[in-house]
Amino acid sequence: MIHGVALGIPWTLAVTAAAFLIGAALGLPLCAMRMSKLPPLRFIGLAYIILFRSIPPLLLVFFFFFGLGSGFLPISAFQGAVLGLGLITAANMAEIYRGALSAIHFGQWDASEALALPSYSTYIDIIAPQLIRVSLPSAASYAVGLLKESAIASTIGVTDISFNANYIAKSTYQGLTVFGIAALFYIMISLPIAALARFADQKLRARVAL
Amino acid sequence: MNHIPDTVNLSRMHPVGEPDKPILRLEAIRKKFGEHVVLDDVNISLKSGEVVAIIGPSGSGKSTLLRCVNMLGPATSGRVVIGDLVIDEAVPPTAQQLTQLRRSVGMVFQSFNLFPHMSVLRNVSLPQERVLGRSRKDANKRSLELLARVGLEDKADQYPARCSGGQQQRIAIARALALEPQIMLFDEPTSALDPELGLEVLAVMQELARSGMTMLVVTHEMNFAETVSDRVIIMADGKIIEEGASREVIRNPTSDRAKRFLKAVKDR
Ligand SMILES: Nc1ncnc2c1ncn2[C@@H]1O[C@H](COP(=O)(O)OP(=O)(O)O)[C@@H](O)[C@H]1O
Ligand SMILES: [Mg+2]
Repeated sequence: MIHGVALGIPWTLAVTAAAFLIGAALGLPLCAMRMSKLPPLRFIGLAYIILFRSIPPLLLVFFFFFGLGSGFLPISAFQGAVLGLGLITAANMAEIYRGALSAIHFGQWDASEALALPSYSTYIDIIAPQLIRVSLPSAASYAVGLLKESAIASTIGVTDISFNANYIAKSTYQGLTVFGIAALFYIMISLPIAALARFADQKLRARVAL
Repeated sequence: MNHIPDTVNLSRMHPVGEPDKPILRLEAIRKKFGEHVVLDDVNISLKSGEVVAIIGPSGSGKSTLLRCVNMLGPATSGRVVIGDLVIDEAVPPTAQQLTQLRRSVGMVFQSFNLFPHMSVLRNVSLPQERVLGRSRKDANKRSLELLARVGLEDKADQYPARCSGGQQQRIAIARALALEPQIMLFDEPTSALDPELGLEVLAVMQELARSGMTMLVVTHEMNFAETVSDRVIIMADGKIIEEGASREVIRNPTSDRAKRFLKAVKDR
């Protein structure tokens, strides 16, 4: 029984990690658009963020899997879940980055400009590393939320922890135990994420002390 | 000051150019924030190797003026002339002009603005690599020379947060010097420091002045203004109200506004 639920762990991890990576990467240009000086870009960025933060994740995942997937472009349940959760994560990560950006001292931009650093270098060498450092705690707690949210994938047939738990519970009539085990797995995954984030945060803080 | 290695060569390290031709000219600089006139027709000319101190009450536009020089905050109108580089403040400069300007002009800030996520060495080397195209090895070699010059080569592998404020400011000076500027701007470099730490920064600046660097220094350190700088400019309400030989201006100001300001500073 434990084994059956555990078979879902790789899928839960895969959905969470893939959606998070998509969101963390896509969030950067989105944040840049949101803060752009050009009104059309800013509007698109803002519209995306509002839209994807207002749609229930379940609905978006259904939209991709049953809506798009049923005719326009056939996608697997895994792809549908990752796409839906990833796009929502992008909107949230953009906002996390935006908050972090305001925590970076304006003197960092001044110094970069005064030193004639090209803008690619200002972003990649100076701003991005500090942005990641400042975003880390919020991003980690978002990732823990996303881990739980990933259970949505089970509703379209991704065989993750929740899917397997549900399946086994129905066939064994031992729901209490089975779902208890499933919950334990989720806890066991989120604890290390939180610990890892704390560790990384402290390590970076000790060196950097913004 | 034991921070300054006595091996430092005090002969002129910086290119001198033609003796009497100004190396930097600020012409008719005006700046408005909305309706508020912050700089009102400011003209300054610096000869090569000259050290000019700008003093004046807070809010008189000193920082704003320095930021016009390297276009960190362009003026509403006016010109900045450095050699054959002519920048019209009212017109967005080309990327090439801007790079040339900022390579010629180094800036040191009140808040140091070191990059906190990089080691001291990396702080000084990165701009050399990105702007001058130096190899990592050459950049590091130069950085260590400059860190030695400000008395901090032993801090190369530390992170800035592990350094005192005075050390951080000296590192910031080394970082600016690494791009081999012709002119250095200082915006109240010691205002964020305890007096004792301020002294070690002032000592580095004094050495720099003696080595022939052209410097425009906004400061509240009357001693520095009087003894190190060649000329003093007093600003108030966006205008230059008094300027001349340092000692003369500080000891015998002519305008009432300047007298009042200097009295306030001395009584502090
Ligand atoms: N970004 C800004 N927006 C509006 N007003 C500003 C800005 N920066 C400076 N000022 C105003 O310009 C004046 C000069 O400021 P500043 O150059 O910082 O003076 P100082 O360096 O001599 O103390 C002040 O009245 C200040 O309020
Ligand atoms: Mg100021």
